[in-house]
Amino acid sequence: MHYLKKFLFAFICMTLSSSIFAQSSNYKGTVTASDLDEPLFGVSVLIKNTGNGTLTDLDGIFELEANSGDTLVLSYIGYKTQEIALSTQTQLEIVLGPDNEVLDEVVVIGYGTIKKSDLTGSVAKVTSKEITKVPSSNAIQALQGKVAGLQILSTSGDPGANPVVRLRGITTLNDNNPIAVIDGVITDVSAISLLNSSDIESVEVLKDASATAIYGSRGAAGVIIVTTKTGQSGKNKISFSIEQSIESISNEIEVMNGREFATYINQIEPGTYNNLDVLPDVNWLDHIINNNAPITNANMSISGGSENSTFYFGLGYFGQQGILDKSALDRLTAKLNSQYNLSRNINVGLNLSMLVSDKENSPGVINTALRAWPINEPFLEDGVTFADVTGGNALAAIEYSNSNSNSLRSLGNLYANFTFLNNFTFKSSLQFDFNAGKTKSFVPQYFVGPLQQNEVNDLSYSNSNSTDLIFENTLSYNNEVGRHRFAGVVGYSTQDRRNEFIAGNTEGLIREDPLFWYLDAGQNEFENVSNNAGRSTIISYLGRVNYSFDSRYLFTASLRRDGSSNFGKNNLYGYFPSVALGWNVSNEGFFNSDLINKLKIRGSVGGIGNEKIPGSAQYALIRGGTDAVFGEDESIYPGATFDGGGNPDLKWENTYQANVGFELGIMQDKLTVEMDYYYKNTTDILVPLEPAGYLGIGAFRSIFFNAANVTNKGLEWNARYRDNIGDFSYSVGVLGTTIKNEVTNIGQGFGADSLLIGGDLGNGQRVSRSSVGNPIGYFYGYEVEGVFQNQAEVENSPSLFGQKPGDLKYKDINGDGVLDGNDRTIIGNSIPDFVYGFNAQVGYKTITLSADFQGQAGNYIYNGKQAIRFTTLNYEARYNDYWDGEGSTNENFRPSLGGANFQPSSYFVEDGSYLRLRSLTLNYAIPNGILNKMRFSGANVYVRGTNIFTLTKYSGFSPEIGASNAINGAIDTGVYPITRVFSVGLNANF
Amino acid sequence: MKKLIVIATVLVFAASCSDDFLFQPPRAALTVGSFPANADDAVLAINGAYNILRTWQINTGGFPLFDLMADDAVKGSNPGDGTAVAVYDKFTHTALEGGIEAWYKTEYEAIRRTNLVINEVPNIDMEENLKTRIIAEARFLRAFFYADLVRGFGAVPMVTVIDAPIDLGRTSVETILNEVIYPDLENAIANLPVRSDYGPEDLGRATKGAAQGLLARVKLFYGDFAAVEQLTKEVINSNEYQLMDDYAEVFPAANENNAESVFEIAAKPESFAEGGNQFANTQGVRGTPNRGWGFCRPSYTLIDEMQENNDPRLDPSVIFLNEVLDGITITGDGATPDTTRENGQIVEIECYNQKVWYPGTDTRTSFGHNRRIIRYADIILMHAEALNENGKSAEALTFLNQIRERARGDQETLPDYTTTNKDELRTLILEERKYEFAIEGLRFWDLVRTDRAEAILGPLGFIKGKNELFPIPQSEVDISQGRITQNPGY
Repeated sequence: MHYLKKFLFAFICMTLSSSIFAQSSNYKGTVTASDLDEPLFGVSVLIKNTGNGTLTDLDGIFELEANSGDTLVLSYIGYKTQEIALSTQTQLEIVLGPDNEVLDEVVVIGYGTIKKSDLTGSVAKVTSKEITKVPSSNAIQALQGKVAGLQILSTSGDPGANPVVRLRGITTLNDNNPIAVIDGVITDVSAISLLNSSDIESVEVLKDASATAIYGSRGAAGVIIVTTKTGQSGKNKISFSIEQSIESISNEIEVMNGREFATYINQIEPGTYNNLDVLPDVNWLDHIINNNAPITNANMSISGGSENSTFYFGLGYFGQQGILDKSALDRLTAKLNSQYNLSRNINVGLNLSMLVSDKENSPGVINTALRAWPINEPFLEDGVTFADVTGGNALAAIEYSNSNSNSLRSLGNLYANFTFLNNFTFKSSLQFDFNAGKTKSFVPQYFVGPLQQNEVNDLSYSNSNSTDLIFENTLSYNNEVGRHRFAGVVGYSTQDRRNEFIAGNTEGLIREDPLFWYLDAGQNEFENVSNNAGRSTIISYLGRVNYSFDSRYLFTASLRRDGSSNFGKNNLYGYFPSVALGWNVSNEGFFNSDLINKLKIRGSVGGIGNEKIPGSAQYALIRGGTDAVFGEDESIYPGATFDGGGNPDLKWENTYQANVGFELGIMQDKLTVEMDYYYKNTTDILVPLEPAGYLGIGAFRSIFFNAANVTNKGLEWNARYRDNIGDFSYSVGVLGTTIKNEVTNIGQGFGADSLLIGGDLGNGQRVSRSSVGNPIGYFYGYEVEGVFQNQAEVENSPSLFGQKPGDLKYKDINGDGVLDGNDRTIIGNSIPDFVYGFNAQVGYKTITLSADFQGQAGNYIYNGKQAIRFTTLNYEARYNDYWDGEGSTNENFRPSLGGANFQPSSYFVEDGSYLRLRSLTLNYAIPNGILNKMRFSGANVYVRGTNIFTLTKYSGFSPEIGASNAINGAIDTGVYPITRVFSVGLNANF
Repeated sequence: MKKLIVIATVLVFAASCSDDFLFQPPRAALTVGSFPANADDAVLAINGAYNILRTWQINTGGFPLFDLMADDAVKGSNPGDGTAVAVYDKFTHTALEGGIEAWYKTEYEAIRRTNLVINEVPNIDMEENLKTRIIAEARFLRAFFYADLVRGFGAVPMVTVIDAPIDLGRTSVETILNEVIYPDLENAIANLPVRSDYGPEDLGRATKGAAQGLLARVKLFYGDFAAVEQLTKEVINSNEYQLMDDYAEVFPAANENNAESVFEIAAKPESFAEGGNQFANTQGVRGTPNRGWGFCRPSYTLIDEMQENNDPRLDPSVIFLNEVLDGITITGDGATPDTTRENGQIVEIECYNQKVWYPGTDTRTSFGHNRRIIRYADIILMHAEALNENGKSAEALTFLNQIRERARGDQETLPDYTTTNKDELRTLILEERKYEFAIEGLRFWDLVRTDRAEAILGPLGFIKGKNELFPIPQSEVDISQGRITQNPGY
C-alpha cells in the first residue's frame, strides 16, 4: 500500500500550489468575533434573496459588488447570523456575537432536519471536532463517552476491528447493532468505518421512538445518522491534517514464569522438574508484542463552490501496523459530495464515499502466547529453527501465517430535488452500497512439532460481494403561517440487498512463492470450490408531520409500514407508529426567569421493529453435499438432506418505547442540562434458540423463534457548564445512563420455557444464560464459598465427585446436602448498571487542554481464557498463590490440571467495572500573525494520549469485553490487546 | 419539469406493484415440501441419511466412550490432554458433558434424516423395488439410531415424523422397541437384499443380514434369546458371510468390507466433506508418526491378560512402541510416559488401538478407516450365547470353538473348550467376547446386560443403578422444564 501514501502526498502538494483568486467590489468589510476580538475567516457573506456572496479571507476581510438597499446576510457556525442593510457607506466593520442560543441549532433527523427548539424526540448531536479526537480507523469509536445512553466497547486492539455498539441497553436477543444512515443511505453501523473521520460534519444519535420510528423496521436498536461535509458557495477552502501516533500494549497479562510454572507442575506431579535453576524462562508475550508500533493518519480536503454548484472532496490515508506482526491495516478513503442547481427549483447531487483497504489477518497468537510453556525456548540451539513448544510456538504461528483481506466499498446517494409551489420538495434518490471483499490465506509446508506442522502447503481464497440498492422517493412540505409552523414528509422506498460469495481452497502448490498463491497452482485433486448467494428485499411507506405553535407547543407523529422478505407470506408487513409532544415552557409569556433561559419538556411513545435475521431463517433448508461412501472402490455417492431447521411462522419483532425528558438552559446556556427517562419493551423477539434435541436439527444448532420479551429502562443525563474569565475559558461535561435490563419472557409457544443457554467456551462448557426475571446473558455456574481446607471439611460438606482438600468448595444452593447441577446459580451480570463519561476542557488564549473520561460499572466478565484447559498449559500469575496445605489460602485452589476446579463457577467471574482516561489532548492554535505570513488561514498543532490509564479490577488486557451476540454475555476468551496511543498532529486550512 | 414529475411518479408506482418482490426463496438450497420429489431425490435423501454415520458427533460426541468406560481401554493421549474425556474412565461424568449432549442430539438429527425418507419417499412415483429398498434402508438406519439411544439413555422422546411436536416427554424403552425398532428392522429384513444381491457399487448399504444382525444385537441386549438364536441362525445359514482365516486380516485397511463384515461404515482417507470419518483420528498414534490424538488406549489389564493367555489376537489389536507397521516405526508421544506406575505397579503403558490403524503419510489418511459395526464373529458368538441360554449348550460349544480356532490360527494356544455346563459356558462366552471384540465398543454393554458391570467396573467407579445409563443432557431437561426427566443418580 505504499503507493497509496505516495499518491496522497503528491496530491496534497499539487493542491497546495494552486492559487486562489479573489474578486473586486464596491463594498469592503472586516468581520471580527466579539468574544475573541479577532478577525473571522470563512464567514459566509450573502446578498439576501440572491445567490451572490463570498467568504471572508484570512484577515476577516470581504469584498463584494452590491447595491445600496441590498441586505447582507453574514453567517458563521457558532455565531449569531447578522443581517446588514447596505447604505452608501462601502466600508463596513462588522462584529459577530457568539451564538449561545443552542436551541437554534439545526438537528438532522430521519428524512429531514429540524430546529433543535422544535425537536420532540431524544436526539444527541456530536460535532466534527469531537469525532476527530480519537486515532482510530472507525469514527464511531470517537462517540465513546460522548452520548448519553450509548455504550461503545472497543473489544479488540486489532487494527480495523469494529467496536461493539449498544444504545439504551440490550434491546433484543439477536442483532443489537444500531443502524447507520450515512448521507441518507440506510446501512449497517460497520459502514461508518468507511468514512474518514475528518470528512464527517456531524453525527446524530436518534434514541427514542419519536426519532427512530420513521426508520420502522430498522430503528429498534437506535439510529446513528452521519452527515458528511459539503462545500459552501464562495471561496475555495483547502485543509489538511496529519497525525502520527505510536501505540503500545496498555496492560499486560501476568502469566507464570518458567520457575513458577515448574514449581506448580511439581506440586501436581512431584519430581517432574528436579533442577529449577536450569530451566529456561520465556516470556512469550514479550516475544510477540511489538511496542511503539506506528499509526499514520493523513487527510486533505478541498471544498468550495460557485453560484450553481458546490463540492467537497476529501482524501484520507490511515495506516496502522499493529502491535502484533502481520496484523497491519492500510486504508485509503475518498469522499465526494457535490450538488448542482439545474434551474431555480431543481438541483441534483451525489454523495459518494469510497474505501480501499488492505488488512493482514493476525493469526490469533495471543492465547498461544498466554498458554505456551514458559520453560520451552522458541528456537533450537541454532537460534533460527523454531522449537516444538507445548501449547504452541506463537512465533512460528506468526511466521507461517499469510492471510490478507482486501476490501473495496463504495456507498453513495444520487439524488434530485424538485421544489414547487414554494413549500413542496419532491426528492428522488438512488442509494447504493457496494462492497467487494476478498481474503487469501497461504500456509507453507512446515514442521515445528507433531502438533504444529503443515504437511502439504495450502491456499484458501474467498471473494464476496454485496450490493444494496435503495430507491427512495419523498415529498416534503414546509410552511409557516403566522405562529403555526408545519412540516410533513411522505415517502416510499424499496430496498434490494444481494450478496454472493465464492470460495476455494487447494493444497500442494507447485511453488510457495507469492507468485503462486492462486488456486491454479495447486493440485486438482485437492481443489474445492463453494459458492452461494442470498437476497432480501424491503418495501416501505413512511410519513411524518411536525407541528409547532408559536414555538411553544410541539407535536410530531409518524408512521411507517415495512414489508420484508425475511418473513413468510402471512407476516410480511409491520406497522411502526409514533407520537410525541413538546412544550417550550421558557417561551411562555408567564415564564419570566433571569436564571433559566430555556426549559423544554417533551415526551414520546412509539413502536419500532426489527427484521435483522438471516433471510433463510424461515426455511428448514435441504442442501446437497451430505454424501455417502459406497462400493468396492469407495466412491462418493451424492446425498441431500436437512441442514438445520427453520420456522415458517416468523414475524416482526416490536420494540415499544416511551421517553420523557427535559432540556434546561441556565444563565444564557452557561449550564445546559438534558435528561431523559426511557422505557423500552421489546416483544416477539426473534431469537435463535437451541430447541430440544429431539427436534433433530443437530447438536449446538439453533432456530429463530419469536419467543421472548425484554425490557430496558433507565435514566440518561447530559450536563455541561462552560464559561470564560478573560483569556481563560473552561468547560465541564458529565453524561451517563443507567440500564436496567430484564427478560420478561422466553419461549412462549415453543416448548423451551424461560431459558436460553449460551456462552460456549469451546470446551463444551456453556456459562451464560438468559432467563425470565434476569438480565440477558448472565453467567451461570457454581458459587465458590472458599477452598476445602482439610479432609474432614470435604467429607462433611456436599462436594463434587473426587474433590480433595485444596479444591474449590462450591455452595449447596438448594441445601439438599448433595452438590449437583441443581446447585448452579447466577454468578454475574454482563450488562453494566451504569455507563458514563465526563470531560473537561480548559483554555488559555489559543492553548486548550481537554480530557475525556469514560467508564462503566456493575458488569462482570467471565475470564474464559483462564477456564479452558485442554492440556497442560501455562497458568496466569494468580495461580501462583495456590492452596498449599490447611490455612494457606481460602481463595485459590491446589495445583490442578483440570477437573472439578475448572467447572463453570464464580472463580472465573471478575468485576468488569472500569474508568478510563480515553483521551487527553493539548492543542495549540497557531496565532494568525504567524499564519498570515505563511498563507495559512488557520492551523493548530496538538499532542494527544489515548487510553492513558484504566482503573479496573479486571485481570485481562482490557475490561472492554463485549459479545456480538448478547446471549453469550461478556466472555474473555483472549483478545488482541487494547493499546495506549500517543499522537502528534497538525491541522491547517488555506 | 412536468416530464420529471411524470417519470418520478411512474417509477414510484412501477416499483410498488407486488408482493412478488418480497418473496425471496433461499439460494442453492431446497425446502421441505419440495424434496424429495422424484426417484433421484429419493436416492439423494437416503444417501444423506447414511452420511451422518461418518460424523464425529454420532459417535458419542467424538470419543469412543463405551470403550473408555469398559475395562479394555483407558482415556489415553497424554495426561494433560482431553481432561473432559477422563471423566468417563472414572464414571464421574455428569449431565453437563458436551460430548453426551452432542451425541444425543446428533442421534435425533440422524433420525430426522431417516424420517424424511420414511415419510416422503412413499409419495413418490418411482420404480417400486427401488422405492421399497430405500424405505427399508431408512428404517434400518432409524432402528440403528434408536437402538443406540435407548441402550444409552433408556426412555427417550419417540419421533417418527419430520417435524416433532414441541411438547414431547420420554417414551418407555418397551414402546420404542415395539413401535419403532422391531417393526423397522422386520421391515428391513423383509425388504433389503442380501449382501450378494447388491451390485459391487452398492457395497456398504444396509443388507438383510445387517438388519438381522442388528435385531439380534438388540434382542440380546434385552434378553430375548429365542429371537437371537433364530436371527443369528438365519444369518449363518444365508452363507453370505464367513470368518476371515486369520484374525489379523480382519482390520487392515486393505481388507475393508471383507467376508466377515456384516455392517461397516465406509470412509475415504479425506476430510469429512470428501468422504472421511474422524473416528480413527481421535485414537490414532500420537507423536511420531503423527496419526492422531492417541485417545482410547488399550488397558494394561487387557494386555496383561491376553499375554498371559498367549492370545494371538493381542498383536493385531494393540500397537506397541517401536512396533513397525506398514514400514513405519511407531515411536509415540514425548509428553506421554512410556510406562505409568502406581505404588510400583504398572497401570498403563503407551500403546494405541491397532484396530483403527490406517496406512498412509499424514493424519488425514486415518480418516479412511472403515468402522466395523457388526462382524460375523459377533453373529457366531451371539448364536453361541443364545443356544447356551436356550438349553443347547453342546451346540453352543461348537460355535464358541469356531471363534477360538480362528483366533489361535496355527499356534499352540487357546485350546478348544470342552465344558457343556451352562453357567461355565456363559462365563467363557463373555470372556471370549472381551478378547475377540476388544476396543470395539461392545464390552461395556456386555457387562451391563449380563449384570456384571458392578463386579468388574465397580473398582473403576461404576455405580449400580446409575451408570447403566448415560445422563439425559442437562440442557434437554432444562429446556423441557423437567418434562423430560433425568436418569436416576445424575
